[in-house]
Amino acid sequence: MIRVWRLLLFAYRADFRRRHGAEILAAIAAERALPRYRGAAGSIRHAFHTAIDIIVSAVRQRLAPRREKFFRSRPMDTVRQDVRYALRQLARRPGFAAIAILSLALGIGGNTAVFGIVDSFVLHPFAFPDASRLLIVGRSFPKLSAGTDFIEVLSPAEYEDIRQARSFARTAAFDLGNRNISGGDVPDRVFTAFLIDDPFPVIGLAPFLGRGFTADELKPNGPPAAIISHRIWVSRFHADRTLVGKTIRVNGNAATLVGVMPPALLLVGTDLWLPWGATADRVPRNMRNFSVIARLARGESLASAEAELAAIAGRIAGDHAAQFPEYTGWRLVPQPFAHAVLQDARPAGLLVLGAVALVLFIACANLASLMLARASGRQRELAVRVALGAGRGRLAQQLVTEIAVLAAAGGAAGLALASVAIRASNALVPAQFTSFGLAASVNARIAGWCLLSTVAAVFLVGILPALQSGRTEPNDSLKQDARSTGGGRSARRLRQGLIVGEVALAVVLALGAGLLLRSFLNLQRVDSGLDAGSVVTMRLTLPQEKYRGGDAINAFFEELARRVEELPRIERAGLASQFPPQAFIRFRVIVDGAPPPAGPTLPAAYVTVASRGYIPAIGMRLRAGRLFDERDSPTAPHVAIVNDAFVSRYLGGRAALGTRIRVGNDPQKAAPAEIVGVVANTVNAGASSAPMPEVFVPMEHGRDAWNQLFLIARTNGDPAAAVAAIRQAVAAIDPDQPIYAVQTLSQAFETDIVTQRVSAALVTIFAAVALTLAAIGIYGVTAYSVRTRTQEIGIRMAMGAERRVVVWMVLRQVFALVAAGLALGTGAVLALGPFAGSLLFGVTPIDPVTLASTSALLGAVALAAAWWPAWIASRVDPVVALRYE
Amino acid sequence: MSPRKAALRHPLSLSVTHILLALADGALHGYAIKQAVEERSAGEIRLGPGTLYEAIQRLEDAGYIEEESARDQPRDGQEAQRRYYRLTPDGWSVLRTEIRHLARVVDHARAHARLRRAGLT
Repeated sequence: MIRVWRLLLFAYRADFRRRHGAEILAAIAAERALPRYRGAAGSIRHAFHTAIDIIVSAVRQRLAPRREKFFRSRPMDTVRQDVRYALRQLARRPGFAAIAILSLALGIGGNTAVFGIVDSFVLHPFAFPDASRLLIVGRSFPKLSAGTDFIEVLSPAEYEDIRQARSFARTAAFDLGNRNISGGDVPDRVFTAFLIDDPFPVIGLAPFLGRGFTADELKPNGPPAAIISHRIWVSRFHADRTLVGKTIRVNGNAATLVGVMPPALLLVGTDLWLPWGATADRVPRNMRNFSVIARLARGESLASAEAELAAIAGRIAGDHAAQFPEYTGWRLVPQPFAHAVLQDARPAGLLVLGAVALVLFIACANLASLMLARASGRQRELAVRVALGAGRGRLAQQLVTEIAVLAAAGGAAGLALASVAIRASNALVPAQFTSFGLAASVNARIAGWCLLSTVAAVFLVGILPALQSGRTEPNDSLKQDARSTGGGRSARRLRQGLIVGEVALAVVLALGAGLLLRSFLNLQRVDSGLDAGSVVTMRLTLPQEKYRGGDAINAFFEELARRVEELPRIERAGLASQFPPQAFIRFRVIVDGAPPPAGPTLPAAYVTVASRGYIPAIGMRLRAGRLFDERDSPTAPHVAIVNDAFVSRYLGGRAALGTRIRVGNDPQKAAPAEIVGVVANTVNAGASSAPMPEVFVPMEHGRDAWNQLFLIARTNGDPAAAVAAIRQAVAAIDPDQPIYAVQTLSQAFETDIVTQRVSAALVTIFAAVALTLAAIGIYGVTAYSVRTRTQEIGIRMAMGAERRVVVWMVLRQVFALVAAGLALGTGAVLALGPFAGSLLFGVTPIDPVTLASTSALLGAVALAAAWWPAWIASRVDPVVALRYE
Repeated sequence: MSPRKAALRHPLSLSVTHILLALADGALHGYAIKQAVEERSAGEIRLGPGTLYEAIQRLEDAGYIEEESARDQPRDGQEAQRRYYRLTPDGWSVLRTEIRHLARVVDHARAHARLRRAGLT
């Protein structure tokens, strides 16, 4: 907020700002702490009072040298007087006031709403203090090209090494799993984090109730303790405040409930926190299950942390590479928490924010043009007042006050509009965001943005009319007669210029919306390579305490696949470690007999562990060879299936079937697998990326057991009923085993392109608003010009001009302005297009279809807006028009 | 006396009078002036930060108050050096005139029979 105030100080004269600025800011901060500004409402009140105070005193100060009677009136008097005068003026023209307030409400409200949404999900997604200093530490193998794009896990021993880093003030690590929790009515299966170290100080939030874990509780065999999420506390324990310190049951064992997480905090969606309760030396170095979070120490940066982690990674490699070859050349990668957990929606967010700023510009241009029209109508009034001794500054102040009154009303309406829109926007948000506890809501930052937009609007709208009024020459204006109050030539030029600008901005938005819409449609049309039909997907994570070793895990999953396939509603079912459109596990690949790679990047591919049923269940097409079957028993020779992308990228014309490949962190040491099948490409890296090489290996041959797999089931119609049946099948094998992340394959595809969908939808809405505003602007200027030319039109008609000619005369002018705007806007899109590259798919910024349809739409809008005034002009009765005088 | 000064001198606005009055006790820094004014007016006059410093600047320009030579240096955790202001002889005289004038107004009001009946004094 202090940045906003510092910015607002520029309203003062520079010398004043230099002398008093720091003290004013200090005073604002001191005020903020007063009891009367406590709470959320208080902070909004404080922001409001301070903004008014600065603006009012700045206006007074700027006008000071010209004001002769300084101390005679109380400082607020002239402002009050002006406000009263402005209200009277506006009451006399309610139509004008309504249009003005509506335009501003749309502009400011839209701006605030979008800022609110972008702020909640992109700029400040997590309500943690100093959220940008909260990091996730992952690992990467730089030669495998792709960076980290999900939370990568580390082993406890690696965490112990990272914990030594001096770049971090605090660190914590958590493994994820599921636990039964009881103490409420029914035992509940909840998503659980098992913690090494207390996460509260790392995240920077205090518990809502109680405390975090003590060092004792975190030790092996320490007193059992548990922390629950706010939502579970409410839903399961009826928000019972006396619960802290009492015993709840976790998996049937007693544990003391020591704390409740604050409502805004859901660590990657977990509802229960338990101490891990083991030590790093009990687990092998390569059992990587822990996500590591860290808070940067004071004075440290991401770069310095990166450098220190590089040194640590190097040390680990030196000590352990002999035993664990994957350490060779590995890196530890720190990433801002929000960036690691959410997809980076920043470009889309900023694009949408930019688009809505254009809407505000258009709204302001509209209003400025209306004000100019009115100002020139009031030329004589102003001239009289100048002649009677009113200072120019005083007149400008009057005008600005009038705009400020309008803007205040528009801003208030805009804030109301925005808060409705922001709440409604939560429905648009994909589940992957809401599961982190993210939701858009109105906060002080958003109110501040609304205020800033309002102030910007006052400035944008006020500057031209104020300059114009400063030019009033009483002599000239008073000599003119009433007829020519249409304003001088310069005022008319200015209004026309504003229309051109407005149309240009609307064109930018309309073209942008068209391009984004076409991109989105193209993305939807991308051939997924699959038959998504009625496929459901869900995730199962087997607890490691219960399922020790690959045999137990494989036995569970094989039994599950068998039982599920026997269900009447299921056509095929299979298990896989990942599935399109979001594959993420990739390993290095070596093709036996191929020359060693020349480039800087080693061959890598998505490696998917799959059961026999996976490929047919998800509907992948077999191109050649065979699928996995009973021949691929655990003792049989290793085999693999690859996709077309793999064949074309790495096999270079060789026959795929029979070729031997090795995959793994250290493929040299991996057992070779013979390619027995080739499948068609799928959108395994998302619809907007080209298909990536992918290797499927049978579940039976997975060297490391995968305790977390997705179940993919092709149903014969009703996915919901099928899910219920699958749940029963799971429970029949292990009643404690939950399934989660249940979604249909189609939903997964929708989520994949949600950023494009939301930005296309929002920009389209803005474009519609922008076109509406531009239409209002065109209508206003045309109607005004017709009114001032009534006499001229009357004379023309008296001389025999036909109605058709009069209509054309009016429309011609409008079309000239619109054409100029169209050219300008198109040019801007062409210039800006490259920056939107990553958001466009299958269209270039110079897209003839979009361009043509936008031009046609704009022509239609302009015609509609100008038609009525043109028609009115053609109905002018020459007799009446000439009698006008 | 210049016409500008004459215009400035009389009558002063209420908040300006309060600011001068606050400084009659001795030099104060900006925020202390604000607090003193709020206290004396029983919260009736609230000076926002911008209004406060704008008034201070005006009074300084008019020569009614002046900055004392720096009193305290910025300490740790204190962003800006605070300026202390005190009344000039001109300021004293304008305050005296104003108080005398206000006293007369109040005297007249008290002596006014109808106001007394209306319970206004």
